[in-house]
Amino acid sequence: MQSTPQSLLNRDRVSGLIFLLVCLIYGYQTTQIQLFPGDEYEAFTARTLPYLLTTAGIIMSLLLIVMSPAKSPTEQNCNTGSGSSLDWRLLTAFVVLMVAYGVGLTWLGFVLATSLFLLAGFWLLGERRKAVLLGASFPFVTVFWLLLTKVLDIYLEPGYLFLSL
Amino acid sequence: MLEGILAGLSTAVMPTNLMMVMVGCFVGTFIGMLPGLGPISAIALMIPITYGLDPSSGMILMAGVYYGAVFGGSTSSILINAPGCSSTVVTAFDGYPMAKKGQAGKALALAAYASFTGGTLSAILLLIAAPALAQVSLSFQSSDYFALMLVGLSAVAAFAGKGQVLKAWMMTILGLMLSTVGIDKGIGVERFTFGLTDLMDGFSFLLLAMATFALGEILYSILKPEPDTSAEENSALSEIGSMKVTKEEVKEVAPVAFRSSILGFFVGVLPGAGATIAAFLSYGLERNLAPKEKRSEFGKGSIRGLVAPEAANNAASSGSFVPLLTLGIPGSGTTAIMLGALISYGIQPGPRLFIDNPEIFWSVIISMYFGNLVLMILNLPLIPYISKLLAVPRTVLLPMIIFFSITGVYLVSFNTVDVFMMILIAVIAIFLRLATFPLAPLLLGFILGGLMEENLRRSLMLSDGELSFLWERPITLSFTVISVLVLVAPILLTAFNRRRAKKSVFVDECD
Repeated sequence: MQSTPQSLLNRDRVSGLIFLLVCLIYGYQTTQIQLFPGDEYEAFTARTLPYLLTTAGIIMSLLLIVMSPAKSPTEQNCNTGSGSSLDWRLLTAFVVLMVAYGVGLTWLGFVLATSLFLLAGFWLLGERRKAVLLGASFPFVTVFWLLLTKVLDIYLEPGYLFLSL
Repeated sequence: MLEGILAGLSTAVMPTNLMMVMVGCFVGTFIGMLPGLGPISAIALMIPITYGLDPSSGMILMAGVYYGAVFGGSTSSILINAPGCSSTVVTAFDGYPMAKKGQAGKALALAAYASFTGGTLSAILLLIAAPALAQVSLSFQSSDYFALMLVGLSAVAAFAGKGQVLKAWMMTILGLMLSTVGIDKGIGVERFTFGLTDLMDGFSFLLLAMATFALGEILYSILKPEPDTSAEENSALSEIGSMKVTKEEVKEVAPVAFRSSILGFFVGVLPGAGATIAAFLSYGLERNLAPKEKRSEFGKGSIRGLVAPEAANNAASSGSFVPLLTLGIPGSGTTAIMLGALISYGIQPGPRLFIDNPEIFWSVIISMYFGNLVLMILNLPLIPYISKLLAVPRTVLLPMIIFFSITGVYLVSFNTVDVFMMILIAVIAIFLRLATFPLAPLLLGFILGGLMEENLRRSLMLSDGELSFLWERPITLSFTVISVLVLVAPILLTAFNRRRAKKSVFVDECD
């Protein structure tokens, strides 16, 4: 069977190549670690373990690239087929929502940011009942906030937006 | 030793710690019953809570969650054929056919009794083995520790599963690489910080564990949704039938539970082997030992086939505490998280733990008895009620768990950069999972990285930069040989299998 570029680049080989790249960057950064005068005569410096890891990492990634069996185009089609059941759109929406929650914690404060995050999270997963959407977000977060601040005595910043008012 | 046991007992029976065992078992059972979430995720979710507790209570809570999660996983295996974690996959082989025959109650009760037997017998073995091993390991030097860590890391990679050994090694190396980020503890220079102050202290263990095993798991279940089984599980639980086990059945399974517990414990002690391998091994052993007429029942609802893996996986869970408590080497991803938590409490794990912090050492062991009791006496009758919690729809449950994961990290540092870093690591973890890279070795490498570098530094300094420290002491040499064998064996085995396969193809072609 003739090897096509598609059959040569299977998932394992791509992973191996990425890992090789990571190891090379790590290895380059290792050369940038500061050494003190006289360190070249020391048996162990801050660069020793990183150098060992770089070498081991490069060997492992090369082994993965070389040892992984090339797949036929049919097998690749099968793989793509299984990949279609992955809901990338929903995952991306959640990642954006979590990043927005991180920003919201600083600007809106814990209660508002968390309530909005939960509300949006329920909505994204298909929850449409108003009682659940509102009941499981704002009251739940308020109780949780009271528990943190009044019972456990944890100080939570109110958020820049409220501080500037 | 007696003093230590008494100190541990008095710590374990403190009302707070008894409550921790109960809470841990309940929470663990609940999380373990959720498809896709196993003991490792359950424990990762608990870490931020344990930071507010004293080390003994924290460890007791985590141990309780561990048992509870394994038990919860068995419940969903039996009732709906959906194992919560890999160690309970074998339970479904005979547990689910029993449930289909209308004997779900009996299967649950047998599983609980088997777990109790496994947990109790292994706790007794732990009580004997741990101090003995700790005494031996007191004579260890830095070179022994370094070689021992190599054994731990190579064993975890070797047991990673077919075709995953190389990937497990790569993940271990990645974990070790991550452990080198931050200010070097020996010399005090910055490494891989890119001038960012947030990276000066390196990656936080909490952040990495939560990102890979709590947030990562939930995001993965969002990416690849599993069917919502809560309704199915609830209906299965509403008609579980009688939980009574007859005398004849007890007589039949008692030796099975005993053998499987002993086997499970010793498999659990091996670094990397863990509860899953123990369950499979004991199932295979019991099938071979069973009389002919009973052997045919395996896979169709055999009580021997249910009891063997259940006793073994619980015994292995306790067994995995032996290397953790005595050598400071975790045997699995779950105990790796516990080791990380111990280090975060400022406690030095290893043989000195038994001398310096006897109350932690012994209270964890003693609380295992209580944990097993709680699981059998309280959790078993309460299973139908605990499962009511599963009626909370997935649409509400998943955002809540994400919220608890993020808040868990945020409330420790109050730094939103940690939140962003956690999201980034969780996304990377998803890609790694999709590429079938195991994540437990990553965490293991990260946790052991600092200790390993420290011991390598000392060994090299003492041997004047010569690698001879690896074979000069008999203990070090033994560990070095074991790690080389463990490392080389899977490669040789793969090469041998390939050669055999080629040969058979050649013979076929000749025919």
